[in-house]
Amino acid sequence: MIGLRRTRSSLAVAMAAVAFTGACLAANRAKPARAAPRSGLPAAVTTPPTGPVMKVAAVDAGRRSRVHAEAAEIDVHLAARWQEHAVEPSPPLDDAQFVRRIHLELAGRIPTYEETVAFLRDTASDKRDQLIERLLASSDYVSHFYNYWADVLRLSERPQKNLLFEPYLAWVKDSIRTNRHYDDWVHEMLTADGRLWENPAVGFQLRDDGMPLPYVDNTVRVLLGTQIGCAQCHDHPFDHWTQHQFYELAAFTAGTRTRLGGAVKSAKPGAEAKPVPPPAVRTLVKEARDSKGKKAGALVQFIQANATSVSFRDTALKLPHDYQYDDAKPSAPVERELLWGKVPAGVRNAGGREQLAGWMVSRTNRQFARTIANRFWKKVMGVGLVEPIDDFREENPASDPELLEHLTDLMLRLDFDLREYVRVLVSTSAYQRRAVIHDTTDEQPFRYPGPALRRMTAEQVWDSIVGLIALNPWSVQRPTAVEIANVAGVDLRTATIDDVEQQFDRFVKEYGPGAYQRRLNKVCGYRGQWLLKASEMPAPLPLGHFLRQFGQSDRETIEGGRTVPTIPQTLAMFNGPITHAMLEEGSVVYETVMEHDADETIDIVFLTVLSHEPSPEDRQAAIDELTAADPATGCGNLIWALLNTREFLFIQ
Amino acid sequence: MRFSPAISDDRLARRTFLGKAARAAFGLTLLESVTGRASAAADTAAGGVNVITLMMRGAMSHIDTFDPKPGREEQGETGSIATKLSGIRFGEHLPRLAGLADRLAIIRSLTTETGAHEQGTYLMRTSYPQLNSIRHPSFGSWAVHALGKRSGDLPGYVLVGNGNEHPGCGFLDPAVTPVPLADPARGLENITRPGYLTQANFERRLALADRIDHDFKQRYAGRQIEAYDRMYADAVRLMGSGDLAAFDIAREDDKTRERYGRSRLGQGCLLARRLVESGVRCVEVEMRGWDMHRDLWEDLPGKVGELDTAMATLLEDLDARGLLGSTLVVLATEFGRSPKINENAGRDHHPAVFSAVLAGAGVKPGVVHGASDAGGRLPDRDAVSVADFNATIAAACGLPWEKEFVAPNGRPFKIANDGKPIAAVLTG
Repeated sequence: MIGLRRTRSSLAVAMAAVAFTGACLAANRAKPARAAPRSGLPAAVTTPPTGPVMKVAAVDAGRRSRVHAEAAEIDVHLAARWQEHAVEPSPPLDDAQFVRRIHLELAGRIPTYEETVAFLRDTASDKRDQLIERLLASSDYVSHFYNYWADVLRLSERPQKNLLFEPYLAWVKDSIRTNRHYDDWVHEMLTADGRLWENPAVGFQLRDDGMPLPYVDNTVRVLLGTQIGCAQCHDHPFDHWTQHQFYELAAFTAGTRTRLGGAVKSAKPGAEAKPVPPPAVRTLVKEARDSKGKKAGALVQFIQANATSVSFRDTALKLPHDYQYDDAKPSAPVERELLWGKVPAGVRNAGGREQLAGWMVSRTNRQFARTIANRFWKKVMGVGLVEPIDDFREENPASDPELLEHLTDLMLRLDFDLREYVRVLVSTSAYQRRAVIHDTTDEQPFRYPGPALRRMTAEQVWDSIVGLIALNPWSVQRPTAVEIANVAGVDLRTATIDDVEQQFDRFVKEYGPGAYQRRLNKVCGYRGQWLLKASEMPAPLPLGHFLRQFGQSDRETIEGGRTVPTIPQTLAMFNGPITHAMLEEGSVVYETVMEHDADETIDIVFLTVLSHEPSPEDRQAAIDELTAADPATGCGNLIWALLNTREFLFIQ
Repeated sequence: MRFSPAISDDRLARRTFLGKAARAAFGLTLLESVTGRASAAADTAAGGVNVITLMMRGAMSHIDTFDPKPGREEQGETGSIATKLSGIRFGEHLPRLAGLADRLAIIRSLTTETGAHEQGTYLMRTSYPQLNSIRHPSFGSWAVHALGKRSGDLPGYVLVGNGNEHPGCGFLDPAVTPVPLADPARGLENITRPGYLTQANFERRLALADRIDHDFKQRYAGRQIEAYDRMYADAVRLMGSGDLAAFDIAREDDKTRERYGRSRLGQGCLLARRLVESGVRCVEVEMRGWDMHRDLWEDLPGKVGELDTAMATLLEDLDARGLLGSTLVVLATEFGRSPKINENAGRDHHPAVFSAVLAGAGVKPGVVHGASDAGGRLPDRDAVSVADFNATIAAACGLPWEKEFVAPNGRPFKIANDGKPIAAVLTG
């Protein structure tokens, strides 16, 4: 028991003094400090949200015993492997370790003090199941899995000048919220028609607009875990795919158009089938160019965005003019041919795009199920059964082919319900063991004595830190497709140039360059940072943002996120404004400490930041700190120190 | 005030104290590097060659820059201009580099196997194909590893660009991984303690963090966590460095900043010059946006203009400061762009032939090596592989390009893979 004598006001004064003299924080940037540095945290962030952030599809509690049975099958299999290979499984997670891990796994953030304590004190024998089910139905689950798919699908607001991609981003998040089954979801992405705000799923086909062959490459890579990209230009150097095969597959989607239009020019190899813009669009573009001066360029882009619309009409594809192999002539037409299997009977008379989609998600195309089963196994356990997860090859077999097929069967039985699949995986006893070190260059196959030790992703670090500061990290949410349609949509068949300009002005005001950022500044800005969930940030973020420094992708490469350490990351944690926001009055950690007695401070800080009580040595170190310095400073030092441990950043 | 005040004893004392504190706090000893060389932190070599690489991301068109084909359909809308080298022409948007052509070594016969950005960039940076089983060191990391750091506190290698995609130190010691800077105008951010945080408190915090981390580090000892320890120690050392002003281009006068061009590349080149002046051995500056599949002539003139201004100014500035003799400047990209103009008024990926430029230390000025065929499609003579190109750079730096090193997995590796230097562009 330490005789800490402090009142809320004295600690507040000390901490506030700390915060206000932090005007020097502004000096960390090249720009001169603002005239009056913002004092304290924005109100929207310190006020609890009034209702649920979003309505998430319920989790079926009734399936619990089935989930246990399915998890047990996986455990039995792994136990046999451990015995076979003399592998010692890792010790099971205790409750403190579990509550932190499962929050990071399913909600993308560390648990709050209340969540941790409530779980530790709960005596229900099924409390872990209850927590899993609750988290899987939370808005944080949606946010976290959105971040995952944003990295895979390269979700960016303006991947090209004519693409207003916010509706697609919103649709991906919404698909997770409603727990859309994966095969259904993919099928829609592969076959959707229309403009982005009319049918946001078209975003998938538009991501590589103008590059129809890379579209095929990326689609096969993400959905089938197979790299055929090299075969675009020549027979694959490492694998068996030939250039001819690549074109045969590309022939299915060759008729995809991405612009409104009438007559179609004949498709040349590798080029989009380019329709002639309808007269209305041509006229509007000309009027914009001629009369609108400085605005002309942006207005033309806005018209192009409205003229961007996906449709499909079967079109022949030809081999490139410099095709160099003996099996066909250059510029010869290509017959459609799948990489394997057959076009399902139901779509044999449909267009090429429908045929490809039908084949892709068909139950008989096991590679589709296998790829996603492996992908989410990696997400949860840290290492795929096939690595890399997008490079299935004969020379790169699964470390445990039986288990992989078992998981594939499970995915099919679950009807591609990804959330249920994750639910099963985190219910295994293998998952609920302490993490182990795994060296990716180790030539021995990983036998999963526990999940692999990993650093948090950039978004997990950010959301965890924001959770220590903001009572409401959802003060702003990204726009929906409807919100975009209201200010972006123009009927190009009937609009005059003045109509277009009016709508353009409305669009720029709401979603033009910097508009969203300005809104964030106003609502949740603090010393140049937005105290907001990572999923609601602009995408991509600039290179200097904390999230990018911690490895978030620029959304130009598939799965571009990284977790390697860098000096700028360390400096951001040491000295950056986000670390110091939690020492401000009104922050979650500050308020939690203040709500309790002084002699609980040490426990509270440990439970809040590291999700466990201090060990005797830790407690002594903390006591030494709080008694040596003055208590307010000591408390700030303690919070900072815990945040800057390596332990904080890693998922044990 | 972001950086340390004027030189004073206080700062020196602080640096030493901080250095000591860092070692004490993290229980560090000099970490042995992978190949048995003592930690670069203690091992500095004042001399030797510096390298500034300008990496054009997205695949820079060769026909529109250093290998025009005047009078042919392939040339498209870019005109061509005469250069200081008789008979040699550049694209019209490179007037200043054209005027400096007699200081450059231009290679027009580079050829590579891959037309994919990720693999092509990795190959250009490491000389190896991207494999799943190993991460190869980037050239800059090899250079710092072999030649040593020039400065005690400053990093040996800095990247002005995106660290995510960079191979970094690969299997070499993390000490030689590049420090990534997002924005040259902002330099090294978060480098000073906030005003309210005293030095004493900062050190208390570090020591406390280390104490609390004890159990975790015991349980998870290994390379992964050691890399974090290294970053912490390096960050603390950097905070105490007296040379941080090197990162601050605001200290340059406006005229200089204008001359380099206000583009990211321009200011990045200025930063590179400052860093090399202050003791950083390798700097890589990225410029993105070269992947012009459509409407190439909308964006290209501006981009090539930025490159022309930035690179020409960098060369002139290095020369004026007597640094060009000890600094190698490299202009590289992952592959070229198709001579055939596509349906969207753009050019597609073209690995078969492309161009690169070298200048400065070890390089023979006023040389054009190799040529592409009449249409800019294939090498016509003296084809140069990416490995050969990097071996040439290694030779210019005096690096042991022919030596076989052993990686942690027991396999042999060379700085430039199986590449051989091109004698024709080297002085030595």
